[in-house]
Amino acid sequence: MSTVEPVYQQPKPGLGPARLSGAALLVALAAFAIVGPAVISADPAAQDFGATLAPIGGDYLLGADHYGRSLLARLAHGARLSFGLAFLTMLAAAMPGVFLGLVAGWKGGWTERGLEFLATIVLALPGLMLVLLLLAFSPGNYGPLFLGLALTLWVEFYRVTKAATKGVLAQPHIEAARMLGFGSRYILLHYVLPVIAPMISTLSAFAMATAIIAVSTLSAISVGLQPPTPELGSMIVELLPYFAEAPLHVLLPATLIFLLVLGLQLLAQGERA
Amino acid sequence: MNIQLKQDLVVRNLSVHSREGTIVSGVSLALGQNQPLTLLGESGSGKSLVAQAIMGNLPQELKASGQISFRDADLLAETAIERRRRWGRSIGLLPQEPWLALDPTMPVGPQVAEVHRYVRGKPVGESAAAARENLAEVGLAAAGALYPFQISGGMGQRVAIAMAHAAGAELLIADEPTKGLDATLRDSVTARLRQEVDAGRLLLTITHDVAVARALGGMIGVMLDGRLIEYGPAEVLLAAAQHDYTKALLAAEPSQWQRQAQTLPGKCVVSARGLEKRYGDKTLFSGFDIDIAAGEVVSIVGPSGCGKTTIGNILLGLVKPDAGAVTRDASLSPLRFQKLYQDPPAAFAPHQTLRKGLADVARLHARDWEEIRALCARLKLQEALLDRLPGQVSGGELQRFALLRALLLEPAFLFADEATSRLDPVSQQEVVRFLLEIVAETGLAVLMVTHDRDLAEKISTRLIPVAGSGTLAEAGMAG
Repeated sequence: MSTVEPVYQQPKPGLGPARLSGAALLVALAAFAIVGPAVISADPAAQDFGATLAPIGGDYLLGADHYGRSLLARLAHGARLSFGLAFLTMLAAAMPGVFLGLVAGWKGGWTERGLEFLATIVLALPGLMLVLLLLAFSPGNYGPLFLGLALTLWVEFYRVTKAATKGVLAQPHIEAARMLGFGSRYILLHYVLPVIAPMISTLSAFAMATAIIAVSTLSAISVGLQPPTPELGSMIVELLPYFAEAPLHVLLPATLIFLLVLGLQLLAQGERA
Repeated sequence: MNIQLKQDLVVRNLSVHSREGTIVSGVSLALGQNQPLTLLGESGSGKSLVAQAIMGNLPQELKASGQISFRDADLLAETAIERRRRWGRSIGLLPQEPWLALDPTMPVGPQVAEVHRYVRGKPVGESAAAARENLAEVGLAAAGALYPFQISGGMGQRVAIAMAHAAGAELLIADEPTKGLDATLRDSVTARLRQEVDAGRLLLTITHDVAVARALGGMIGVMLDGRLIEYGPAEVLLAAAQHDYTKALLAAEPSQWQRQAQTLPGKCVVSARGLEKRYGDKTLFSGFDIDIAAGEVVSIVGPSGCGKTTIGNILLGLVKPDAGAVTRDASLSPLRFQKLYQDPPAAFAPHQTLRKGLADVARLHARDWEEIRALCARLKLQEALLDRLPGQVSGGELQRFALLRALLLEPAFLFADEATSRLDPVSQQEVVRFLLEIVAETGLAVLMVTHDRDLAEKISTRLIPVAGSGTLAEAGMAG
């Protein structure tokens, strides 16, 4: 039929090749980040000046840095830190964002206007500024870093949730459900959440990717986490002066960041691209 | 016939196959100048597939076989690229609901001019002049600067025709050209199409509206389940149909219905006094009074945009009036006031199977599933349909599901908002028949809002005409 009716598209069952490779990449990296620190006996902070800039494949599987610390151990710990921090940031941004989005979409009126104003203010503040401001209180800590990032990232969740919720609530089938006696709880669980859930999961993967990059960038400009914490961004900066002698050593943490973000992007974007 | 008319488009033994089987089989028809062809049939009968096979835009998974010759060219033998080159140039499609197919960000004049500019490669100035001429041909000389949202459905359809003129298409394929239009607009669009025929264009129309087929004349083909079950000149076929389905289709036109026997009205269920509604500066209606009693079917009839749907929504409490008050029978629970929607798919959550939706209603109101099964049987709904999504059943079936869902709440008042206007005549008749049976049995009060005066006259106890200008006059109807 040539009818141009808005037919609901069932989400494609299963994962496409792009999403599958993204998921596989993430599983491999997560295994490295979670299992790695447990099985690698080397202390990421233990220095061995006899092994300064040890080459890849010798006593140290992935070489050692300028203080002779095992890069394998540092990468595993760094991956765990990045992953964990990104996941926490995403949760801390998604939960208030989705909640406030639902409230604004549902209530409308002054509630929506107030929240919208707040979101606009947060968007107008440079995100980096917010993080730097919080970091000034307790430099080198995880707390303010993750809080600052969450404060800038929740707006996306809020805006998307609000727009989608309003769109769903404006449809006649919600009116019909109310006339049939269904309460707000049923409408939220059965009509709104199934529509916004896929959008939120996509957004979550993007938010994690953003958080990973942000944490590394902040460490790279020496305001994030302080040495000797094995953080991927600060590892790059610390190794940068030795680029001429050991170029691969610098590229290792950079590659790990790249793979983490690529995995998340593939998983999130998948078949839509 | 003594004079052999020249046939410009001849379809011989056309079949359309999908992987599962044959959807359209053995369709043969022809049309020529001054001999338009109208394909009648319900949704899913394959009439649109025939048009798509001629146009060459069948969905990828479908294959056509047989022969389609257009002016000595065998269309099915042509490659996809050759066929696409014909679109707009020798074969033009008038889309369903063209006001949705037009670019909403651009006035209609430049949209027509684009056809001259980019399809026919004329210079800018010449294109604009030619576009003005095309719009004047369809009586829209003054409308060139209007945006699609500023024009009516009938004007939108004429803009689409102006575009087909601009492209110089010889064969026009009109796919449900009157869908969603009220009777007046429908007649004006049909008259316009008839003028196209008189001007020598070839016309293939697809519709489920017998009135359109009658007004266009020429040849009529009736399709059912992928077959052409009856084919012949309009005057012969409409006067003496052979096939049972054609007879049912003709009898399903509201003007052919039996006037319904009246039931005695009972207690007043809902009434309103002095209702007024404004949108901005425009007053839709004011001083409107209405009383609806149990067992009554009251119809509000009027053209699109006159505020008749708003009246129903005010009675249900969905819209607040700017003045006036609604009184409901206080002994009735608000849940016993229900509504049937114009567009059945819009009234169901698109991702929820019908079974889940109905089971949730049943659980909420402590109803037994057996009641649903009994109602399904009564409304002739197969239980296999329950496991489908709302988008996967036909409009007529879905509207019966909507009726079923409302009946679970034992309604005292039902507002049917153009509830059958998007259904083909046979489905419409079925839905209305069930509705009237229930009115007779349970004393349900019904407010019908419709633009189909024939329908309203046949089934209602009272008729309230609404004029487009915003004045209302309640008129009792003899009966």
